[in-house]
Amino acid sequence: MISLRWVTPLLVAAVLASCLAIIHSTHASRAYYADLQRLEGTHWYLQEDYSRLMLERSTLASPHRIAKLARDELVMRTPDLATLHTIVEGVR
Amino acid sequence: MARNGVAPAPGTPWRLVTVVGLLLILAAAVVGRLVLIQVVDQERGAAFLREQGAMRAVRSAEIPAYRGMVTDRRGEPLAISTPVITLWADPLRLRDSNRLGVLADALGQSEAELQQRLDLYSDKRFMYLARHQTPQLARRVLALKVAGVGGKREYRRFYPAGEVASQVIGLTNVDGKGIAGLEKAYEDVLHGRVGKKRYIKDLHGDAIRDVGVVREAKPGQPVALTIDLRLQYLQHRELQRAMVETGAEAGAAVTLDAWTGEILAMTNHPVFNPNSRAAFDYSATRNRVVTDAFEPGSTVKPLTLVAALETGAFTLDSIIDTSPGRIRVGRKVLPDPLNYGAISVSRVIEKSSQVGVTKMAQAIGHEPVLSVYRRFGLGEPSSIGFPGERSGSLPNRERWSEIEKVTLAFGYGLTATPLQLAQAYAIFANQGKRVPLTLVKRSAGEQVPSERVISKEIANQVLTVLHRVTGSEGTAKKARVPGFSVGGKTGTVHKVGPGGYLHDQYLALFVGVAPMDNPRYVTAVVIDRPKGDGYGGGAAAAPVYSRITDGVLRLRNQRPEVAAEMPAQLAGFGGGQ
Repeated sequence: MISLRWVTPLLVAAVLASCLAIIHSTHASRAYYADLQRLEGTHWYLQEDYSRLMLERSTLASPHRIAKLARDELVMRTPDLATLHTIVEGVR
Repeated sequence: MARNGVAPAPGTPWRLVTVVGLLLILAAAVVGRLVLIQVVDQERGAAFLREQGAMRAVRSAEIPAYRGMVTDRRGEPLAISTPVITLWADPLRLRDSNRLGVLADALGQSEAELQQRLDLYSDKRFMYLARHQTPQLARRVLALKVAGVGGKREYRRFYPAGEVASQVIGLTNVDGKGIAGLEKAYEDVLHGRVGKKRYIKDLHGDAIRDVGVVREAKPGQPVALTIDLRLQYLQHRELQRAMVETGAEAGAAVTLDAWTGEILAMTNHPVFNPNSRAAFDYSATRNRVVTDAFEPGSTVKPLTLVAALETGAFTLDSIIDTSPGRIRVGRKVLPDPLNYGAISVSRVIEKSSQVGVTKMAQAIGHEPVLSVYRRFGLGEPSSIGFPGERSGSLPNRERWSEIEKVTLAFGYGLTATPLQLAQAYAIFANQGKRVPLTLVKRSAGEQVPSERVISKEIANQVLTVLHRVTGSEGTAKKARVPGFSVGGKTGTVHKVGPGGYLHDQYLALFVGVAPMDNPRYVTAVVIDRPKGDGYGGGAAAAPVYSRITDGVLRLRNQRPEVAAEMPAQLAGFGGGQ
């Protein structure tokens, strides 16, 4: 029966604690949401960069450009049969 | 004590009781109303109020999902979605803005133009300012913070290979939906599912927090093709060159790996630039390799040869007398260019002798020929499921006249696409087995299904004859490839116009197999309406085949028959010690 005297303060303390917990978790949730927004933004920017770089790479590495560079600047040509050698593995 | 106060003791003021009673009733009424509104589900009750609240504060937004990438067999991108920003405006709010000039400047439009469009949409709450802008430009515009202007994230499709693979890859429309080619065929795989989320906004319409994701965004799946961009480019280049050299108006070429059924390259002329919609000719989006069926002419003579060999009535060395260089069938006379005299069956195909094939066809009838055509996949669509693919047609007659039986044997009266011709020749290269064609890479370890349609012996005999066609006595010396022996068959067919066969318009065809010591790569070339004297398959199409095949064999690491060998160690690649 003595413990009944403590019930009310205990309950008040518990309510207070849960209030603080709610404040804390709400704050955390806001912070996470801000993080999420930021990360989504980063994700978007990175994807932008990635696809732009992919496009740049495939433009630079396009067979058309490579063929032109090889022919005009490096003066390369396809070897004719007389100069062609087949490299055979495992032959000594 | 209070109890004593309100207790109905004699002398208690009745007015107090009444007032307290009334107040209690009022309080009960308010509480009752609250319960009715907030707890009990009734009309204009709890659900209604929640909805009204949400209408004022909760908004839903799209979570964009990108479209899957299309790559070639080595992972080179052929179609990529890149993020862009679409700028929109709320005309009602923008109308009264005093910063239209600044906005128009940033957009690169004139202020008058912008004003005009605003007037046009004045009673709406949404209009596009500029679609699919680069993020840099869009951010500059958004940084102005003009009231009523917003940005929406979207994706735009880019085609790094440009015109080289334009008809194969196809197109998407401005909303990112595939409308042609593979983009259309694989729409279900490629398209991303746009997600949806709900968020709470503040007075200014800015998001405060997400309430939840209604539907998860699902990005589209990538599709890897069997196309090799290097071969595609090479084929494209050679086809364009042929257009210039022959003065032809259109053309198509396709290269197959006969062992796996993979399409390694597929090109067409005319081409279009898939990255620019400014000058857009819809007919150029046609992938002629699969959409254009024509009479295949002499290119199906090897199939007739199969029918003849299968009946057992002929061998490659059977002698057929083609004198005097022409033959009368019904009311028609079919001529050879000159009198070949008595020649072997092999020579009949080598020379593409009409008289010889006619005599073979008359001896075996049309049924065996039709049977071979069917087994080789003519008259039915291939397995690649390309949008707009034609299946060609085989004649289906009750009664066959003599001339119809004969013309069937040399490729008239039926239609086929370049892809079907390549598929038919792939059966020879694959030792008589038919493999379903594919444009999409099979998963690793997947068994390639195959079906035997003719015997290995007959397939090899036909290959021998095809090789002789490119020999010194054959019709396709120009199809030869330095360092390799190849085989193939020419075809020159009259184009069909509204009034029947056109006298002076031809299709030049060549279908070939390489290399002969290990047949694997099949290429079909169609040149539409070549000009000048070199209009035939041997003159117009065979050289294109030769140049394409030269590149195919080199890029696919085939060993030339005559090249000098060099041990790996000497070449500096060896051993690893």
